[in-house]
Amino acid sequence: MSSHFIKESDFAAFLAGLIKEKKVVGPVAKTSRQQEKFVFAQLERGEDLRLDYDVTILPPKKEFFPTQQDLVRFDGPRREGCVTPEEKVLFGVHFYDVKALDMTDLLFQERNDDRNYTARREAATVVISNIQKVSPRAFWSSIGAEIQPQGHDAWLSRIAGGYVLEPRTPKGAALLRFGKFATATPAQIAAARQANDAVAAQCPERLQGTSESNARKVRAAFGQEELWTKLAEDCFSCGSCNTVCPTCYCFDVQDWWNVDQKSGARTRYWDSCLTEDFAKISLGAGATENFRESRGERFRHRFMRKAAYLNEKLGGPACVGCGRCSAACTADIADPTAVINNIPEA
Amino acid sequence: MPAPTPCRCATPSPDQDQKENIFLPREANIIRVEKTTEMERILTLRLADGSQMKFEPGQILEVGLMGYGEIPIGLASSPTRTNTFDIVVRSVGRVSQAINTLGKGDTLLIRGPWGHGFPLENLRGHDLLIIAGGIGLCPTRSLIQYALDRRQEFKRFSLFYGARDPQQQLFTADLADWRKSKDVDYHETVDKSDPTWKGNVGVITTLFSKTKIDPGTRVVICGPPIMFKFVIREIDKLGIPHQNVFVDLERRMKCGVGKCGHCQMNDKYVCTDGPVFAFSEIERLEEAI
Ligand code: SF4
Ligand code: SF4
Ligand code: FES
Repeated sequence: MSSHFIKESDFAAFLAGLIKEKKVVGPVAKTSRQQEKFVFAQLERGEDLRLDYDVTILPPKKEFFPTQQDLVRFDGPRREGCVTPEEKVLFGVHFYDVKALDMTDLLFQERNDDRNYTARREAATVVISNIQKVSPRAFWSSIGAEIQPQGHDAWLSRIAGGYVLEPRTPKGAALLRFGKFATATPAQIAAARQANDAVAAQCPERLQGTSESNARKVRAAFGQEELWTKLAEDCFSCGSCNTVCPTCYCFDVQDWWNVDQKSGARTRYWDSCLTEDFAKISLGAGATENFRESRGERFRHRFMRKAAYLNEKLGGPACVGCGRCSAACTADIADPTAVINNIPEA
Repeated sequence: MPAPTPCRCATPSPDQDQKENIFLPREANIIRVEKTTEMERILTLRLADGSQMKFEPGQILEVGLMGYGEIPIGLASSPTRTNTFDIVVRSVGRVSQAINTLGKGDTLLIRGPWGHGFPLENLRGHDLLIIAGGIGLCPTRSLIQYALDRRQEFKRFSLFYGARDPQQQLFTADLADWRKSKDVDYHETVDKSDPTWKGNVGVITTLFSKTKIDPGTRVVICGPPIMFKFVIREIDKLGIPHQNVFVDLERRMKCGVGKCGHCQMNDKYVCTDGPVFAFSEIERLEEAI
């Protein structure tokens, strides 16, 4: 598909038009403890959109896999499913988050298609924007670099004087009518490419090795109990590293009642494999069995999932190098580069 | 303006999505209840729409009640029997306790069957040995019934059953039949005897000395995790290759459909890749046994 250019001065009108007609979700600033952080939120005004964000607190998966999501609602004996596709434009996603969406797309779809996710996903239009500012813990340039982002409808790049929009699908092309776009010149297209390429060199952290060599050595280290115990020594089992991760998708399911004690719902909530009870079952008479009892076992499980277990299915590691986990971990022990780089070659 | 709360909105969903919603349960009616131990009840169910439930021995159902939740339960009867099916509900938590207050005529909600059951194509035409410890008898009963109903499909059929004490024995009517039956070479034991018990006392592996097992036998094992190690040792003594040994595993399950991650063990999802695995497939997987 061809590339299009919009002038800086016309961009606000484009956004305003889009927001007027569609639900648009994009990165906006949120100040907490005097620090500027970013979140994906519904845009009320185009001015709120912050395409110069470095990384959002939570990844965009929450748009399709909300932190809490009803699966079945009931009222007395009546029950109904809650598959609720909703059209929206997810505007300004960084490419690493789209790579993560590609993974959750596949995992929710394979074997038993989970329409609670996939129907929402299909109803969305995803627009990538180039990374203008790199977050302090990012390492996306050195992990799974061989894998390109798939699930997007258009790619927006900021260049001198405006933006280049490259639609990838008819849904992406449908955005053009909201703004004063002109066909991009070869120079503008080259500038867009350059904007995307230049930033890759700025990643502050680096994962060594290849996807294969890392998968091999992480798997081979499975039996090294002391290594994992040591790595997880300061772990609080808080699960923050799971919560902020764009490729984590585990959940718990709980039923609840409304005050009428007659109606309610079965709802899923994000869950974390790092928390203590994640793999615990009760056997009756107060007896329990926990299949990953120690912090080390749970910590190891996360790394096996990120670097090895899913590689065959996904074609690469289940980590996109966003660095959110590194930043979210109070003990600062969750950083995949720190952990994986320090595991010796098998 | 706050973002709308997911899924409480009025947007109607296409019918197709609702039908294919993997979380939407079906109704099943309880047509028979039998209290089998202090903790367990056998429920015989029939789909409320009268249709026949299609399943393989060894598959799992998610059984529940709205407002309480769901629990994974292995089917405890064979698809070769009528259009009803059995499950055993052990009162250990909120959901199972709620289910065990229900009686004949009440309605339960089920999803499934899910997962891979016992590999019948691989078992047929061979000697079959089933080893069930404790509540491991429930899911294996689906295969036991199957083997008895299709007796000609198997050669020699042996069954070992171990319970903690005589009071813990499940399916006592079946046990009485099997003790007499010529179709199954049945052996049982209890870890701890009581004055009523006349049979064998000791761990389940003591039963290996009671009968002859050929190295070509296909073996199915289901029981508490601790049992596996000891049983496998006996299997090795007999020279039975591990690809002919099948284990039915239990893990924490939530969704039953390979999504929620709770049942994951190493790189396998017990709910979808299992619950039955060839032992050769998982013996080298850490976390499995
Ligand atoms: S964020 Fe850090 S402390 Fe919390 S569970 Fe993850 S590794 Fe442990
Ligand atoms: S493991 Fe950490 S760096 Fe990798 S995708 Fe998840 S949050 Fe990002
Ligand atoms: S029970 Fe949810 S993935 Fe297996």
